[in-house]
Formats: sequence, C-alpha cells, structure tokens
Amino acid sequence: MKYDRLKLFSLLVLLLIATIRLAQADTPGVRSASGKAILLGSEADYPPYCSLDEHGEPTGFAVDLFKAAAQAANLQVEIQIGPWLALKEYLAEGQIEALPIVARSAEREALYDFTIPYLQLHSAIFVRNNNNDIHTLADLKGKEILVMKGDIAEETLRREQISEFIVTTTTFDEAFLKLAAGEADAVVVQRIIGLKIIDRLGLKSIIPRQAHLDVFRQEFCFAVKKGDEQLLAGLNEGLAIVMADGRFNEIYGAWLGPLVSEELSKAEILKMVLWILLPLTAVLVLLWIVFLRKEVKKRTRYLNKEIVRHKRTWEELQQQQVQLKKSEAQIRLLLNSTAEGIYGIDPQGDCTFINKAALEVLGFTDRSQVIGRNMHQLIHHTKTDGSLYGSGECEIHRAFNTGEGMHKDDDVLWRSDGTSFSAEYYSYPIRQNGETTGVVVTFWDITERKKAEGELLNLKRNLEIEVVQRTVELEEKVHKLDKSQQAMLYMVEDLNEVTNTMKEERRKLELSNQELDAFTYSVSHDLRAPLRAINGYSDFLLEDYSDKLDGEGKRFLQIIRNSASKMDRLITDMLNLSRISRTEMRMAAVDMGRVAQTIFQEIATAEDQNSFDLEVEELPTVLCDYALMKQVWINLISNALKYSGKSAVKKIQIGSQKAEHELVFFVKDFGAGFDPKYQDRLFGVFQRLHREEEFKGTGVGLAIVQRIIHRHGGRVWAESEQPEGATFFFSLPLK
Amino acid sequence: MENRSEVEILIVEDNPHDAEMALRALKKNKLTNNVLVVHDGEEALDFVFARGKFASRQKSQRPKIILLDLKLPKIDGLEVLKEIKSNPETKVIPVIMLTSSKEESDLVKSYELGVNSYIVKPVDFDKFVEAIREIGFYWLLLNQQKI
Repeated sequence: MKYDRLKLFSLLVLLLIATIRLAQADTPGVRSASGKAILLGSEADYPPYCSLDEHGEPTGFAVDLFKAAAQAANLQVEIQIGPWLALKEYLAEGQIEALPIVARSAEREALYDFTIPYLQLHSAIFVRNNNNDIHTLADLKGKEILVMKGDIAEETLRREQISEFIVTTTTFDEAFLKLAAGEADAVVVQRIIGLKIIDRLGLKSIIPRQAHLDVFRQEFCFAVKKGDEQLLAGLNEGLAIVMADGRFNEIYGAWLGPLVSEELSKAEILKMVLWILLPLTAVLVLLWIVFLRKEVKKRTRYLNKEIVRHKRTWEELQQQQVQLKKSEAQIRLLLNSTAEGIYGIDPQGDCTFINKAALEVLGFTDRSQVIGRNMHQLIHHTKTDGSLYGSGECEIHRAFNTGEGMHKDDDVLWRSDGTSFSAEYYSYPIRQNGETTGVVVTFWDITERKKAEGELLNLKRNLEIEVVQRTVELEEKVHKLDKSQQAMLYMVEDLNEVTNTMKEERRKLELSNQELDAFTYSVSHDLRAPLRAINGYSDFLLEDYSDKLDGEGKRFLQIIRNSASKMDRLITDMLNLSRISRTEMRMAAVDMGRVAQTIFQEIATAEDQNSFDLEVEELPTVLCDYALMKQVWINLISNALKYSGKSAVKKIQIGSQKAEHELVFFVKDFGAGFDPKYQDRLFGVFQRLHREEEFKGTGVGLAIVQRIIHRHGGRVWAESEQPEGATFFFSLPLK
Repeated sequence: MENRSEVEILIVEDNPHDAEMALRALKKNKLTNNVLVVHDGEEALDFVFARGKFASRQKSQRPKIILLDLKLPKIDGLEVLKEIKSNPETKVIPVIMLTSSKEESDLVKSYELGVNSYIVKPVDFDKFVEAIREIGFYWLLLNQQKI
C-alpha cells in the first residue's frame, strides 16, 4: 500500500517537475549540460556522506546524491576537496557554488540558500563506556564536550547554551581520539558518522547514548550561495526527480542501508520518508502555484498590451481623417491665398475652376462668370499687336498635345472690361491614368516688372556712361600714382645714401674704437714701463746705498715710490673704467640680495664684520650683467665701509623700493657723508670730496658705478646730511 | 760667451731697465747662474733655434725657462711664443710671459699659443721679486725634473 502511494506521489512529482521545466525553459542562463560545471565543495573525511574512494576521488552518499540530482537537472559537476571550515567560507564568498550536505539552521540561512531537505539525522552523545554520568542532554551541563569546529553540533550547543566547556577540534577523528584519551567527557556528533569513525578507528571504548536529542535533530540539504536562485531551483528539481524515480533509494541503500537498518525501525524510516516527502510536496505545490501565478500574470500582460494596441490604431485612424479634412481645407485656402492667378480648363478649353486672385486680376466678380466658359475666347482672344489669336495657335492649349508644361512671359491677357495686361504664365497638363484630362494655368500680371525692366535698361545705359567717365578718372589717378612712385624711388635712393653715410660713420666709430683699444694698450704698456723704472730704481737706491742716505733722503725716495705706485693705481682705474664701457653685456637673472650679502662677506675684514651692523632688506631678482652688477655692489659697499671707518655708528642699510617705471636700490651708511652742494660732482672721474689723508682713493669707484648703471638704462644719485652719513641710490628700469 | 751653451734662463726684454730689474729679481732669488738677456724677438728665435749669431750654439742645449716680454721690436712676443710652441723640439721649454697689464686679449692669445704662465710686471719691485720667486721656481723645478 505504502509503496503504491509513494509511486503515485512520485508520478505527481514528475508531472510537476515537467511543468516547472517547461516554465523555466525560456529563462535564460540556466546551466545546461553544455555550459559551465557547478563547482561543488566536498570534504574528505565525513563518511559516509563525503569521503574519498581508493583512487582519491570524492564519493559518499551526499556527493553521489548531488551528482545524481545534478545529472537529473542536466547540470555538470566539478568537485573541489577541502576542510569543512574552509568550504563553508568559500561558499559564503562564492569561490565554490554548492555544498552537498549542510545541516540547515537559522544562522546558516543568513549565508546560504538550502534545497529541500533530503536527510534527517540525529546527533548523538558519545562517551567512554566507563562513563555513567551522561545519558541525556541535561547530563551534559557543566561537562567538557568535544565538537568539530564549525560543525552543526557546535553551533547548536552554543545556541542552546548546554555547556560552557566546549572544546573544538579540526576533524571528527581528532574529537574521538581525544575522548578516547580521556581529554573530555563527551563528543556530540552525527550518530551515523560517530559510529563510522569509531568503527574505522577501532575505538571500542567509545559508545553512543541511545537517547534522541531533539534539539540535535537536523535536516540536511544541498546548500548554495545566498541568492543563487537559479542553481537552487535546478538542484531542487534534480533532487525531486531522483527522489521520485527511485535513484535516491538506491544511493541511500548503497551508503546508509546497513547502518540505518541497524539503527532505525521501519516506523522510523516511514516517519523519516514522510518527513522528507511532506515538505518536498509543499515546496513543489508552492512552485506550481508560483508558476501558475506567473503564467496568469504573463497572459494578463499580453491582453492588456493587445487592448492598448487596438486603441492606438483606432485613434490613429481618427486622427488621419481629421488630418485629411484639414489638408483639403488648407489646399483650398492655399489656392485662394496665392497671389498668382490659377485656373483649370478641360480638353475643350472650358474653365473648370478658378481661384480668387485670377478672378480679381481678370476683373470678374463671381466664379459663375467664368466657370464653363471658353477661356481662350474670354481672356486670350487677341495678340499683343492687336491681331486676332485663333484658338488653334493658342500656346496654352499646347500642353494638351505635348503633355508637357510650358512657360511664356511676353504675352497679354484681356480683362472683362476690355483692357489688356502683360502676363507671364505657366501651363501644365493634368494627368489621370496616363491621359491628359485638363490643363492648369498659373499666371500673374507683369506690367510692373516690364516697367522695371525698362527702367533697368535705362539704368544700365547710364551706368555704362559713368563707367567710361570713371575709367578716365582712374587712369588719371594711376598716372599720378606713377609719379608719386617715382618720388618714392627717389626717396629710397636718398635713404640708401643716408644708410651708406651711417655705415661710413659706423666704420669710423669702429675705427676710433680700435684706436681707443690701441691707446688703452699703449697706456697700460708704455706708461707703466717708466713707472716701474722709477719705483724699481728708487728701491735699488734705497737698498744699495742706504748707508749713504740720511733720513730726509730716504723720505724723499719713499715719496717717489709712493707717487709712482699711486700713478699706477690711477692708470689701472682708468683702464678699468674704459673696459667697463667696452665690454659686451651678458644679461642674466641676478638675485640682488644674495649678491649684496656675499660682497659684504668678501670685502669686509673680519674686524669690520664684527663691528658693522649690516641690514639687508629682501631684494628682488633683476635681469642684468652679473659681473658688472657685482662691481656696483663692491664699489658702493666698500665706499660705505671706508667712509664709516671714523664714525661712531657702524651700520650699513641696503634695500630697494619699486617706483612706477624703475626699481630703486640704495646703500645707506652713517659715516662721514658729503657736502650736498658737491652732490653733482660725486660721480665724476677722479673727483674726490675728501682729502687723501682722510680717506684713501682715486675717485673712480663712483664713476664706474655710474657708467655701469647707465649702460643698464638706469640712473644714480646720492643724498647726504653731513655728518649723518650718505645714501647712494641706483635704479634699474622695469623693462 | 763660453757660457752660452749652458744658458738656463733666457730673458727676452727690449727695455734695458726692465731687463735689469728682472735680473735683479732673479738675483734676489739666487738664480743668477747662466742667465742670458736678448733684446728683440729675432734674437730670441736665433738663440732658441741656434742660428744667426747663435749658429755655433749646441741646439740640443735648451734653456730651462724663457721669460718673454709681450711687446718686442722686430718680432713681437706672441710671434716668438708661436714659433717656439709649434716646434716639437722646443715646445717643451716653459715660456713665461712678462706683460705690463692684464689686457685680456693678449692673455687669451698667449694661452691659445701654449704659454705656461704669465707675470704682470708690477710697478712695485718687491711684488715682482715675489712673482719671479713663485712662478720661476715652479717651472724651473718642474723642468729640471723632466730633464
């Protein structure tokens, strides 16, 4: 009886599956036999569900069942072996796509989706056979319990808070070995797995407790990554097929038969089967309902679309009708709104229609005066020259014979009052089914145009006269221009002459520059030789005849030597000055602040550097000749040092300010200063405002400064309030 | 005259006072042995290449140093320098230019022609002695080592 009912149920399931498959047939992306294989994760040490055979290939009840279900759903499987904990994580992260045996729990549902359960198992408490304390779940309170990390038993123990002393192991084997070694009080694990392991490891001292642990009753399913509905549906379908066609029983018998038969009564098997089948039925019915609802929705959508489509067609038709009426009215309006006169005639030459403009131009008041009348007789009866126009020669009628349009703009048409007007017209045949059934004539009054044409002709004549006049004028102008060109040529000649003169001047200048060079050379060479002799021989005299000279004689010799030296210095300075005027300037960006600082360090003696207070403001970078600008700073700073030598305040201030067109730099000291009335002599060559005994110098330093600054396009000046020191300014143009 | 073949220092100087001062400066530095003074460029070249009035001289006996004034009658200093430095036999002789100023064009040309050093004849005689001591000794010693 039961067997029959199962068969009937199986048939029902198959039918249901067939319809689901049909419903899914058009859903794209279902993994087919030709598509990518499902990556299944499996453990190596979870017998009899997942393990490896003698060739190292994955096998076991869950693996075989998964393969069978996948095959039934037309899916391919590829298996990756790994430890349970890792596999759980891989699935959650999507590195593998399915696990063949996962106990369903609230915690796991957050991470995975589960197929219908295909196996219900109980965990059992395993103890050493000499243990008498633990029989039921309640006895585990306070005991040390071994579980495999990540196993459902661990999750359940922790959730139910059965004991605080939970010890986890990496494998089941390890848990049992530890129990056998007395390291803990109990192992909680799947009953069947426990029995298998005890058997395999030969742990005779370990026994299971018979008590059923209700909280450890677990439903086992295939698990997929959360949200992978497509694979879930496929696996559910495959599972349903193998359950219905008996393959499930075969696999079950092959792997679990002997063990289960030992362990379970027939009633239990029945209960278990029902337990599996009932939810399965429920799921299938649910799927069926979902499918039907989908189908109804699809149909409704289709019908709604049809209705909308029909409605649209009807609306389009209505609109077309309105459009048609509108365009008819528009054509009429157009015909009556054009300025051209339009009328139609039949093959006999009688008017069939005429527009408002034609009526007006021809001087008729009503259409009835024209319609049906012969148009040639009515408006085209006489030629321009007054002779009669026979209807046989009528150009307008020619369109009937030739079937082609014609155009004429030198004809006249006659009004109703007997007057005529110049007209331009087009005559076009009206064709229907290849036959000319009439002619349309478009015409307009060109009296005004003819008049305008006449005027235009007059204008043209006048213009021609004017052109002739203008040409004469232009020729005159060209003649004048020729003359001025001649004048220009003379000017160019003059200019060339001037240029040549200038070239000559330049040559002379270059020559005098060369002369200056020669002069400089001879000054340095020839003037120095006698100086050397004066100095040298004075020295010899002092050395060789010192015993014959008294003090006064020696003093005279010393004066001769000093004077010779001073003259040498003057020559040197003069040469320097001339060199500064002659050397080519090389412009570069120069950091003035840095140059001023460096120069002070170089020329101030260690003593000066200690006693002087140097204040240098932030100075800009300017474009100038570095070597020459350095000379400016050397001369100004050494002047400041020199003339502060006898002053109480030893301080030098260096700064700059920006004026409208120039940058102004200054060097201020608090030394001897100068008398403002000699201000303009300061920068002259060999000009000195102090006596040699007061301050040494040749009077060339400031002249050099002036020459360098002038070469840069700037100016130099100085201010002084004796005896409070002097300020020397120089400026450089801002481009 | 018999010392000619052993001339160690050749001074080429047209100004007799400058020549005397150069001699005195050498003497102050105890370098008086075998110094010969010639007075123009032609004489200088005749000596160096053992021709004219120096034809009897042993050409292989080269002076150890030549002090050469830049501005000379007949053949000027730069020309003399060029002749000496373009001949493979004589170009090893150190030539020190004596000049009145640091006129750049002269110096640049001298260096282009291979001068070994130069001395600006200062008005102050003490400075001249100092310069002769520094530069003269340097080249004389260097040349002795080479020979």
